[in-house]
Amino acid sequence: MCFKNLPVEFDEHGNASLKQGAANPWAYETKELAPIESPEGEEKLHKLLARNGHIRRVDFDPVTRVAGALAFHTVVDLENRQVLETDSMATLFRGYEVILKGRDPRDAIFISSRACGVCGGVHSTASALALEMAFGISPPPMGIVARNLLLSLEYLYDHPLHLFLLAGPDYSEPAVRNTNPELWESAQTARAANKAVHGFDTIAEIMTEMTPLTGKLYAEALHMTRVAREAYVVIGGKYPHPQTIVPGGISATIDFSDLNEINLRINKFFDYGQKVVGIWDDLTEFFYEANPQYRDIGTRPKNLIEPGQWDDPFAYDGTFENADAWGRARWSPPGVIVDGELVTTSLHQLNMGVEEFVEHSFYEDWTNGNGNGDGQRFKTDPAGNPLSPYHPWNKETIPKPTGTNWKEKYSWSTAPRWDRLAMETGPYSRLWASALAEEYKHGRFIEPTGSSLKLSVPRGALPAAELEWKIPDTWGAFERNRGRAYSILYTTMIAYDNLLLGLDLMRKGETAVSTPYEVPQDHRIGVGFWGAGRGYLTHHLEMDKGVIENYQIVTPSTWMASPKDPWGQPGPYEEAVLATPLLENYEKPEDFKGIDVLRAIRSFDPCMPCTTHIHTGDGRVISRDVVTCACGVDEEHEHS
Amino acid sequence: MLSSDIETAKPRVLVGGVGYRFLRDGSLGPWLTDRLEGRAEDGVEVEDLSYHAVGLSQNLQERPPYDRLVLFGAVRRGREPGTVAAYRWDGELPERDEIQEHVAEAVTGTISLDTLLIVCGALGGLPEDVRVVEVEPADEGWGEGFSPVIDAKLAELEERVWSFARQ
Repeated sequence: MCFKNLPVEFDEHGNASLKQGAANPWAYETKELAPIESPEGEEKLHKLLARNGHIRRVDFDPVTRVAGALAFHTVVDLENRQVLETDSMATLFRGYEVILKGRDPRDAIFISSRACGVCGGVHSTASALALEMAFGISPPPMGIVARNLLLSLEYLYDHPLHLFLLAGPDYSEPAVRNTNPELWESAQTARAANKAVHGFDTIAEIMTEMTPLTGKLYAEALHMTRVAREAYVVIGGKYPHPQTIVPGGISATIDFSDLNEINLRINKFFDYGQKVVGIWDDLTEFFYEANPQYRDIGTRPKNLIEPGQWDDPFAYDGTFENADAWGRARWSPPGVIVDGELVTTSLHQLNMGVEEFVEHSFYEDWTNGNGNGDGQRFKTDPAGNPLSPYHPWNKETIPKPTGTNWKEKYSWSTAPRWDRLAMETGPYSRLWASALAEEYKHGRFIEPTGSSLKLSVPRGALPAAELEWKIPDTWGAFERNRGRAYSILYTTMIAYDNLLLGLDLMRKGETAVSTPYEVPQDHRIGVGFWGAGRGYLTHHLEMDKGVIENYQIVTPSTWMASPKDPWGQPGPYEEAVLATPLLENYEKPEDFKGIDVLRAIRSFDPCMPCTTHIHTGDGRVISRDVVTCACGVDEEHEHS
Repeated sequence: MLSSDIETAKPRVLVGGVGYRFLRDGSLGPWLTDRLEGRAEDGVEVEDLSYHAVGLSQNLQERPPYDRLVLFGAVRRGREPGTVAAYRWDGELPERDEIQEHVAEAVTGTISLDTLLIVCGALGGLPEDVRVVEVEPADEGWGEGFSPVIDAKLAELEERVWSFARQ
């Protein structure tokens, strides 16, 4: 039984049904929030301030760009080095669900791609998967291999970029010297255990080479993003919005020369992946040794959701009915992890457990607030499993912009929950679900052990090696970054495995990359279960008479930038920052720079480009980036 | 190469617009690029440069060097809508932190003329001679077509860009 909170039960054969007896089984009680910083809480805040001058409002207030933005509001106690209150705000409206209504479903591949300026290709593919389910088609094996390669190459762009250009500067010499000079002192004599792999003697050398613009590691990451992109466009044609992804495969032909071009570039990640793992292992262990409290930066419960990705070309058939089977056959299998335990690997159950709530979002509740499912589109999924009225297939996007109020509505992100729990997702959820997989099918380079994942890396300039990512005892910002580093190797090995498979198919003459189809005119639904660099990605589609009736996208950052839910549970960013100890070195409040909070937020790789200003309460503004990608939105919203 | 070839060699010029499509006045860069493509000639290349600036820097460093780069687009700076500015970029770069912010924006999908100049200026690839033609937009909302004030400036903007290209 994977659900503890949903009104769903299973019979002895594992078939799900709605619990009988409740008049409104999906209904819930909403808990009223009592934030310090609300109109009613203003007095409370003043009392706190009067009692303790170290209580401060610290706002991460964005200057928004075109594609999207994240803002973050906190109240901190600088004396006790605690965060007292957090609110995560997606400040822009993403209207793709609205734009796609009434369009030819094939448009979704190209329009939804625009949801993100970094990872547009994953949206295109998630769209293609949803369309395949609706159309009743699936690609030939080489088409799936090509799609798997493209996905890998997106991640091989994405992960170095985050580790060295976005999160990395927080661990560089200037940042560490500025916020914790005592750490910089000890870093100069701390030996780097993985020197043989990365070449640096001390932790201080690593920090110096992570310095933006001048550091060798920074420059190398920029270069490796290019290597990944060069490989991508061999099949994808262009980036960020590839034109070769179609329902039923891809529209570009592939020959030996294309695969060789890609192979040359994937090979470069054998060494680079080992090097990045060495760097982040050394950095993480240095911080933990210097102060064990660094384990608590950005900590939150081990609740993760992973829809799985990289389809097995001989298992995937595009049907919802067989989704459990082809899902488990993926290189990265699906998994939902609650308190560190794997509670399901079934895509049906994963899908069934997803709901989106809008109590604290700038949307109207499409269920009329009664939650009883009156008039809901789908009471069950195509396999007969019960669906909540708050499930994406039942969701309707009804924007309702209002002023920002911490007690009421404050974000354009919805609050997705699985079994009514806040979940996070990312490259580490792929590692985690793979490590716990019971019947892993792709063991050529990847071996799950139940508590770790062993990665066999072929020889490059560095010797061949076996590296092991271990499920962490404590979960926080450093482990997210470390997991992302291992994910470079994990992704590389999946890419290489698929490349070898592609060469084998080519030798056998199985070179077809797409399946012919016609757009059905009757009523159909579909869902694309896929991944983005930052984790979980689904596209839920409903179509009729050849056009889209409803389209719902849930991105990784929808899960993680989530505001509080109806029960007052914070979203993952909010939860992680709330648990973050303030370890930076400051004597006066005006010296506070917020590095630990920023490390916590950035460890999630937030998917919204924004510049964040930290208001320290004394009129000073510190401008910092929190961003990573542009899975965002398209209209500006004013805070009030 | 013969000495006569050297004497008659034309400067290599890259002309490129920067902006997003379907954002009304904000689409000036790509729109004007499409128009100018028909005017490309020996020594003058026209290209849509509306992609991330780190990639552009890497591309420019791999190509044979250009003698001049002419950039154009709509840039919001709080001026009267329709204000046109045509100038030679002085190559001055902001503080390191601000450059890093622009690099982060570039690799995460932001397309802007200022980001292009700062990122390529810092990472390399720009020729000595960089000219810019920019206009203050009136409307950067979703959709096609320009606001009346920008629509009235299109011919002037095209000629300003082309005159930089042909100097």
